[in-house]
Amino acid sequence: MDSEKNKETISLLEKAVQDHDADGLNKAIDLALTLGIPRNEIRQALFQGLEHERRKMLSPETPLPKFLLSIDVVHEGLKRLSTGDETGKSGAIPLVIGVVEGDPHDLGKNIISRIYAASGFQVFDLGVQVPLETFIRSITEKKAKVLAISSMISTTMVQMPEIIKRVRAISPDTVIMVGGAPLDVSLAKSFGADGYAESAVTVLEETEAAMERVSAKEKWQ
Amino acid sequence: MASMDIINSIRKKHIPAVGLIPDSVLDFLAGLASWRGRRSKLTAIERLLTTFRHKEPDHVPCAPLVGGAYRQLTGATFREFSLDSNKAIEAGLLGSDIIGGDVLLLGLDLTVEASDFGQATIYPENSTAHPDYTKPLIKDHTDYRKLKRIDIKTAPRMQKVVEMSKVALEKKGLSAIFVPVVSSPLSVLAMMRGAEQVFKDCILYPADVMAGMETVTSVLIDYINALCDTGLIIVAPDMLFASKSGIGQELWEKMEGPFGQEIADVIHGRDCAVAIHNCGDGPYFDSMIKFMQPEAVSFACLPDDCKDRKEMKKKYGAETTFIGNVETPLLFSGSPQQVIDECRRVIDDFADGGGFILGPGCEYPPNANLLNAIIMVQAAEIYG
Repeated sequence: MDSEKNKETISLLEKAVQDHDADGLNKAIDLALTLGIPRNEIRQALFQGLEHERRKMLSPETPLPKFLLSIDVVHEGLKRLSTGDETGKSGAIPLVIGVVEGDPHDLGKNIISRIYAASGFQVFDLGVQVPLETFIRSITEKKAKVLAISSMISTTMVQMPEIIKRVRAISPDTVIMVGGAPLDVSLAKSFGADGYAESAVTVLEETEAAMERVSAKEKWQ
Repeated sequence: MASMDIINSIRKKHIPAVGLIPDSVLDFLAGLASWRGRRSKLTAIERLLTTFRHKEPDHVPCAPLVGGAYRQLTGATFREFSLDSNKAIEAGLLGSDIIGGDVLLLGLDLTVEASDFGQATIYPENSTAHPDYTKPLIKDHTDYRKLKRIDIKTAPRMQKVVEMSKVALEKKGLSAIFVPVVSSPLSVLAMMRGAEQVFKDCILYPADVMAGMETVTSVLIDYINALCDTGLIIVAPDMLFASKSGIGQELWEKMEGPFGQEIADVIHGRDCAVAIHNCGDGPYFDSMIKFMQPEAVSFACLPDDCKDRKEMKKKYGAETTFIGNVETPLLFSGSPQQVIDECRRVIDDFADGGGFILGPGCEYPPNANLLNAIIMVQAAEIYG
């Protein structure tokens, strides 16, 4: 295998994601497959490209619309690379995500969901307007290690404490993250959540920190 | 002509539009009010005039930005508040008496313009109205160009806000300043297409989005004119997309900025003041000022190019009046003492030299206890 050529191809994949260039990504995937680069490495390159953009997200170079297009490009690339046997990705952390009942806003949740998916989580996206019982059922069925709940309006946000209480009762070790415009850290703490992410820029780091706290049975200070 | 307009406004117990009065006279009046404010209590209009002219009033004015939360006072449901303007104005007028404040929101909810365009809207009993995103009016990028201009005379919800404005001015006259929030062209499109799609369309099909914005803007201008006809003196365009939560600065300046300018020109042309509302993360103050020359900006977060409040005051304090920025999660869950402390911090950072109105960063949470709204108004009076 020509490792230099492979490296160049990996760079092409990453760049196509960063430039949200769907045609460029298709060509780069063709090239990568021709060169015999394993699908897993190609996927990693797509995730790398997206991670690069996430870190720059909301900067002048990567405003939100461009990041959304990069996510779409990665999504399409992953579909092309799918062999149909990824559902039970070994080692992937099962994560349930959804917007609380009564709230139709999905933009933030969609972004976070795809960032999680691109970062090694096995994401079960329940969509918007999710009833409490659906959250509870999914946590059990999917053996979720992480639950991410979103609400963009204060009138629906008030359901979060009850959801958290019920999830704790059936699955005490599930890490519960909350997010959305009407929330802040102190509100998240008062609701009993394990973590809060202000935006997509910090969500992975905040989730990681919450998982470490829960694992070490440390209190969220 | 201007003198007659001023006299006519005062005869009707309306506040004369600020633009009718020459700058030198405004400065003189503001100076006089500032001087008087050291000895006695000012009226809301005196306080606001002094603030807008960057002089210190008796205390900082307060804009509690209570909207849907007013319905708690009369027991109206969210649905009733959105659909029955009599109930909405009844609650609003009661709120102006009970909660107080100098600058008061006037309106029903955020879907008013989009629903008049024909967007299917859901009105829950216990939560705020929102578009039915399963039935978007704009289904793909070609639909932006198919958007039909509507006649606001037959637009039921915008007409209701206009009616509310007439009632508010008739009942409250010079004692309070009512401000309607008008959605920006992109915000209206986002209600009819979904924000995520609009964001992507701005990059993929900018000409189509611009065509949609042109249609929407022409209707918004009619709406603003109808509102100004009632005797309002301030209009608040909601420019959320001019922030890091929006479409990016370069794209905003290219796409929505010119329409924002058109809207601001109409408001200024009616001798009214522009008070932009932008509760996004990292609002682009420089761009909004460049395109819209707002008399005031209501904000939740620091501008994208400022690291703290001090820098913000230094950079933009002379160019516009700030309205903000007590955090809404605190108003929702904080104790009165915490709210008082935060109000004092914000006042300390911004109030020096005028040009500041205390208020929340965004609409007062509609289901939050109203006590913290009262606390905020009191804090402005006591600590401002």
